[in-house]
Parts: sequence; C-alpha cells; structure tokens
Amino acid sequence: MERRQKNQQQQNPRRNPLSSSSSSSSSHSSNRKSRYRPPNRASGDARARHREDSGLDSGDATTWDEPRSLARSIDERASAAGTRSSMGIREQQEQHQHHQDGENARDSREFASAVGTCPYMCPGMGEMAQRERLRDLAVFERLHGNPAKTSPELAVKKFCRTISTRHVQLSDIRPLSVLGSTLDYLMNLMNSTPEPFETVHDFIFDRTRSIRQDLSMQDILDKRAIHMYEKMVNFHVISHHKLRLSSSGPNSFNISSLHHLNMEQLAKVLTSLYNLYDLNRDHNSMHKNEPEYRSLYVLLCLNSESLPEGERLSLWFRRVPTPVIKSKEMTFARRILRYFRTDNYKCFFSTIAAEASYLQYCALEPYIDKVRALAVLLINNGGYKLHPYPIAHLSNLLMMERWSHSASHVALRPPWTSREIRFYPPNSRPSIIQRQDMGSMAFQVSKIFAGLSKLLARQIQKRGIFYDHLISSAFR
Amino acid sequence: MAYLSMGEAHRRITDYLGRFSDAVSSQDVASLKHLLSLSSNSPSLLSLADALNLFQDANRLIKQSDKYSQFAEIVVPLFRCLQNYKLNNLVDAYHAYEKAANAFIQEFRNWDSAWALEALYVIAYEIRVLAERADRELSANGKSPEKLKAAGSYLMKVFGVLAGKGPKRVGALYVTCQLFKIYFKLGTVHLCRSVIRSIETARIFDFEEFPQRDKVTYMYYTGRLEVYNENFTAADQKLSYALAHCNPRSEENIRMILKYLIPVKLSIGILPQDWLLEKYNLVEYRNIVQALKRGDLQLLRSALEEHEDRFLRSGVYLVLEKLELQVYQRLLKKIYIIQKQKDPSKAHQMKLEVIIKALKWLEIDMDLDEVECIVAILIHKNLVKGYFAHKSKVVVLSKQDPFPKLTGKPVNA
Repeated sequence: MERRQKNQQQQNPRRNPLSSSSSSSSSHSSNRKSRYRPPNRASGDARARHREDSGLDSGDATTWDEPRSLARSIDERASAAGTRSSMGIREQQEQHQHHQDGENARDSREFASAVGTCPYMCPGMGEMAQRERLRDLAVFERLHGNPAKTSPELAVKKFCRTISTRHVQLSDIRPLSVLGSTLDYLMNLMNSTPEPFETVHDFIFDRTRSIRQDLSMQDILDKRAIHMYEKMVNFHVISHHKLRLSSSGPNSFNISSLHHLNMEQLAKVLTSLYNLYDLNRDHNSMHKNEPEYRSLYVLLCLNSESLPEGERLSLWFRRVPTPVIKSKEMTFARRILRYFRTDNYKCFFSTIAAEASYLQYCALEPYIDKVRALAVLLINNGGYKLHPYPIAHLSNLLMMERWSHSASHVALRPPWTSREIRFYPPNSRPSIIQRQDMGSMAFQVSKIFAGLSKLLARQIQKRGIFYDHLISSAFR
Repeated sequence: MAYLSMGEAHRRITDYLGRFSDAVSSQDVASLKHLLSLSSNSPSLLSLADALNLFQDANRLIKQSDKYSQFAEIVVPLFRCLQNYKLNNLVDAYHAYEKAANAFIQEFRNWDSAWALEALYVIAYEIRVLAERADRELSANGKSPEKLKAAGSYLMKVFGVLAGKGPKRVGALYVTCQLFKIYFKLGTVHLCRSVIRSIETARIFDFEEFPQRDKVTYMYYTGRLEVYNENFTAADQKLSYALAHCNPRSEENIRMILKYLIPVKLSIGILPQDWLLEKYNLVEYRNIVQALKRGDLQLLRSALEEHEDRFLRSGVYLVLEKLELQVYQRLLKKIYIIQKQKDPSKAHQMKLEVIIKALKWLEIDMDLDEVECIVAILIHKNLVKGYFAHKSKVVVLSKQDPFPKLTGKPVNA
C-alpha cells in the first residue's frame, strides 16, 4: 500500500507496536484474499491476562512478526512447498509463542493494511441499526433523548472485544480522516457536556478504544497516529485528575475502580505511543511533543508501586533516547522524582508551581497531597514543640490557602489560582487543623500530632492515606 | 581456498557422523560437546561446513546407515545450520539450530543418567548467542528482531525438562542464568520472576548442589534485580556472595559485580577504597566517594552529571541520587566540628544561616525554607539527632551522638 512504501524510506523495523505479541501463523484457508479478518485483540484490551503480564515493558513490542500483505503471504505459501520451508519454522514459532504466552487465544491474523471505507463515526449499515433496535445507545448518542433513535452525527462506533469470529467488512472500518474527526468530536464532548464526568469518561473511554482498534487494523503507524494517540493520552491524564475530584459520596467505590481502570488503560496507550515514537524516529531526533509525553510516565510512576505491573523506573530510563533525557520536560520530571524520593517538600512544590504544565500537574496530582501530609509530619517531628509553627508560612510552603471554617478551626485547602494553564482545583474535603489563635499553629495540634505521628507515619507511608482524612477521623 | 574434492568432502561428513554416534553410544560428553559448539569456530566444524556445501546430499548418507539414521532428527538440521553459518545466513542458521536443539532435548529426556549435561549447556549457550546474532541480522534488514525471544521460550522448555527429581536437576541453574542473560538483554526482566520462584521455592532444588560458577552468576543477576527494586539489604547479601565466591582471576566478572555492589554499599554507608576503584577501572565512582567523604554536594551533582549516561544505562543512577542525604549529613557534621573547635559550649546550636553560607561556598544557592526542609528530612531519617526552631532559625543538635552512623543499614524510609 502506498502508505507503507512511503514509510519504507526509514530503515526502521516495521512492526506494529499497537498490538502485542503474535506471529502470523500459517493459515490454510484458501479464501484469504476475499475475506478480511482483523486481529482478534484490540490494542486497548485491558482484560487479556497475558497482556497484563508485560504491562509497560516495551520489550513486549519486539515479538511481533514482520507485517505481511495478503499478496506476500500467498506467494510464500506457494513457494514453501518446494524448498526447505519457512512455514515449518513459523509453526514452531507459534508453538513457542503459545508456550510463552500460555494461552491459545489467537487465531491466524492477517494484516491487510487495507483502508476502511466507513464515512461516519459509526458504521451505518450494521452497528447503528442494530444498536437502535437493541436500544443500546449511550446518552450522548440519543436523538432528542430518544433511547431508540440515533443519527450519523451522534452515533460513535463501540469497542468490540471479540472480533475474530465475525466477518468484518472494510465498510465497518473508519479511515484515518474519519477517525481524526471522530476523535475531535469526542474531545469537544469532554469539555462541553453538562452530564456528570463519570458518564462522559465512560463513553469516551470506550469509543477511543474503538478508534485505536481501527487504527491498528489499518496499520496506521505514522505521525498522524502519533498525533491521535497524544490526544487520547490527554484524555486519560485529565480523567486521572477529574475522576479523583469526584471520588466522594455514594459513588466513590465505583469511581475508584474507574480510576484504576483508567490508569491501566493510560499505561497501555502511553506504551503504544512510545513505540510509535521509536518507530518514527530518524537518526537521533525526537518528535516535538515526545519529551512531555515521556515525562508523564515518570510523573505517574513516582512511587514505583503505583502502576500495575509497571517497570521499575531504573530499568525504564535505560531505554529512553538521550535527546529526550536531556530535554526540559524530562529534566523537570527527574527533578520532581528526586525531590519526591528524598522527601524534599519545599523544592517539590516550588518546582511544580514554577514549571509544571497542566498535563504534568494532572499526572502528579495524587502525589501532591501525600507530600503535603509528609511535610506536616516532618515539621511536626523535627520542629521545636514549644514554638507554634506559623500557619501562614505552612500554607505558602504547601501551596494551600487558609480558609476559615469556624472560630475554632482554620482549614487549609489548595487554592484555585489560575495562572496561565496552571491551576490547583479545590479539594472537596478540606484539611482541618485546629487552632487556638489566628496566625499560628496551636500547641494543641502539636500535642495531638505527637500522639498521632506514629500512626500517621505508618499509614501515610504504607498506604498513602491523605492526612486530612485521618485528622478528621481523629477529631470525631 | 584449497580445492576440495568430492571424496574428501564425503570423508569429512562420514567422519563427523561417526564421531557423533560413537560419542553418544559411549556417553563421551567431552567429544560430543565439541561437535555441537558452533561459535567456537573450530577448524574441523568449519571444514565440515565446506564439505556439506559441496556435497549437498548428506541426508542420503545419514539415512543410508542405521548407525547414523537414529540421530537424523538432530544431525540433519545441524548440518543445515552449519551450511548457513558458513554462508553467514544467521537467521536461517538459528532456525536450523533450534530444530536440532529441540530434537536433542527429546533424546536427552530418554537418556537415564545426566551424562550429556555439558553438551546441553553448550546447546543452551549456542542457541542464545546465535539468536543474538540472528536478531542483529534482522534489525539490519529492517525487520523485527524476535529470535532471542524464541530462544528464551526454548530454554524455558529445557528448564522444564531439567526440573525433575533425577540427577539432571543440577543443570537447571545454568539454564536459568542463560535465561537471565536473555531477559536482561531484551529488557523483559519481569519474566525472571517465575524462574527465580522455581529455583528458590521448589523442593526439588537444593541451592548448595549447584556448581559454584552457576551460583555466582545466579547471585549476580538476582542481586542486580534487588538493586533495581531498591532492596539494599538483599542486594548487598547477594552481590557480596557473588563477589566472595567469584574466581579471583576473572577481573572482568569482579568488575561487573562491583559495578552494582558499590552503589549498594554506598547507600548503607560503606565506602570503597580508592585502590579498588583504580584496580577494577570503576573510576566513575571516585568523585562520588569523595563527595561523601567531604560533604561536597556540588561534587556529587557534577559527578552524577558527568557520568549520567553510563549510570542511567546501568540503572544505578536513582540509587546514587539518593546519596545526597548522606552528603548533607557529612556537611552538617563538618560545620559542627568547626563550631566545636571555636566554642564547645555553643557548638550544638547551628544557625541555618551558617548552613546557607557553607552551601554558598560550595556554589549552591539555597534559601531558608529549603535548608529547614533538609534539616527536617535529616532528623526524620535519623541522620541527625535534634530539632529545629523555626522562629529562631536554628538547629539544636543532641548533645550525644548528633550524627548517627548508618551501621550497615540503608537510610530508613
């Protein structure tokens, strides 16, 4: 296909980083050319067990066999008969693959590099009509709120996990231009709808997975794919931040599992994005946004246990190209990592305030309250007990606003300051420090802290519970 | 190249076949392993390859005789491999060798005693090395390098064969080490977990039974994993074991162990002597050790920057970064000692301003808040005993042992 030929100029290993390990095994059906069979595992499948195992390890990406067009594979089968056959080896490799992956989940897979022809966000013939019939329409897809009616402007193709058994037509796959406008539509939806965020998140989460599936089936691996993947990372990172805000009240259990799934998916999308960067790299250059998106991994992973099956940062850095390491964004991330690991709360906050981009802030957010709690712990632990520590000073240090709750309480909460694109949204649960007089932290508090500090220390460090939750439970 | 006659080619082939079958029937592993060792580039194997490329019909020879045909499954692909190897087709050579290796393991299973273990070691080694070269060839041709991963799968299979009750089980550690090398090279280090679990918890294995050389290699790799996971006590244990039992004459191996052991030791407060760094060419650590001795934060930072690439690639950078806290401790201690000399009665009170001045002298700019923060950290981690008073901007040190030593335990979390 012309796309492939264009990219052939780069001497890069042509592998599809968007799907994980598989080899194109010998398939003996004779009707190959007419029937298009897409991969039975989309790039964004969170549930597949063998995928879980490799997590963010991009070593996983190397297992994919070189992409073959339909025509080539047929030729090869023809010539295999006479000579020492490479097909036999393929079979053996399949065996090894199964050994390694321990699961017989994959059928034969052909990469046609075909171009989809569906002109709408959702394939009109099959899916749209079927979902109308089954009343399987998300709230955003309903025409005038009617759960049984949609339109081409509103319906978006759903993610489908088990495609291998179906006959997928080219008319079911959206070409790149349609995928681009679908993604833009979804991103706009995120900012413009009055629905609660969890609903929007759920919808966009699923529909972007379907977009990745379509991209992967058409083998789109160039800079346009990078552009789209970056947007999808944006979605997941912002969700990472917004889902936390809604994590209170009766829905909070649901939200935290949404948060967890979002994190998993974010990890996978990031890995695919990094593989795309590697694939599209010529010489030692890097893509324009690559430093920022690489830095996000570090910031998400400050605490190495946070990402599911995540690779230790020490190992991850080994494979980051040098120009990325030296970039401003990566240097920022590494400094934040250093401050976090050495408990340097002062530099942690001042650096974030001075240099973080919005995306970087969103990625860091879960750690910010942890460091605040730790700072209070350290100050209380090492500070002179007879002199009150000024609350004004503390609030500056920890980037929190003094907020008067009642005469006997001064609460601190993160301020809402909009500085360009940096802002720290208000926490829904303010942290409360009891005080006896304005302007200084009460001796009362330090006594309570002293008793609690052991408890705090254990809990904060082992389970990262926000200290405000602990304080309010202690005061109850 | 000397002219090779058909007759001579025929002779070389039958000679090899004869030696192979004799080796197997008399359980002579020393001879057998030479016949399988491709990368040794022995003249006899290379000349055999020439013969095969000329003769082209070795399969007929093999099938003709009963004595040879029983090993056909192994020897036929092995010959194919040799031919490709000589012609520098490494990908095809790898495929063929893997086929021969698979056939070998089937035979090996049926042999009762562990006589052929060393031949199996050779095969395990060769398959890894060949896979690496095949992958290089694939990458150079713009294809995806996947042979090393396949070699890993094969070795897992071998591991399974060896993990039984018989005498063959002592071979499992060698195979494990080959697997480690593969996983480290591929970056799929998390796959080590399952083999490690098998070795350490399965009741069939007794660690002491394994050959010394394998134990050292095993401890080296598992020690490295502990370094990456920042379990310094375990890392110290394993890497020190490897160092203690390593052959004192293999300097390259000692160097590799030290490369990871030194950051671990530094983290628990033990400094290597300069002659050690000099002897094993580990001078990149020299300035770091100096910085720790002198409390020179600037030196630590510049040393990390100078060798940033090297430390990042070996994966010890993050460990070394954390040494910063120990450098601060040393700096404060020096200030304390100086103050004590001037006025012993007031020495235990240290103004934050003085610390700022000392840092400025080291060309580092810090404000009061940051210094107070560092002091709070040091107190919390028990590197300094005392407290700080925010209002009077002073650190008050404990009169007894204000700067406790690390005593072999890592800086506590």
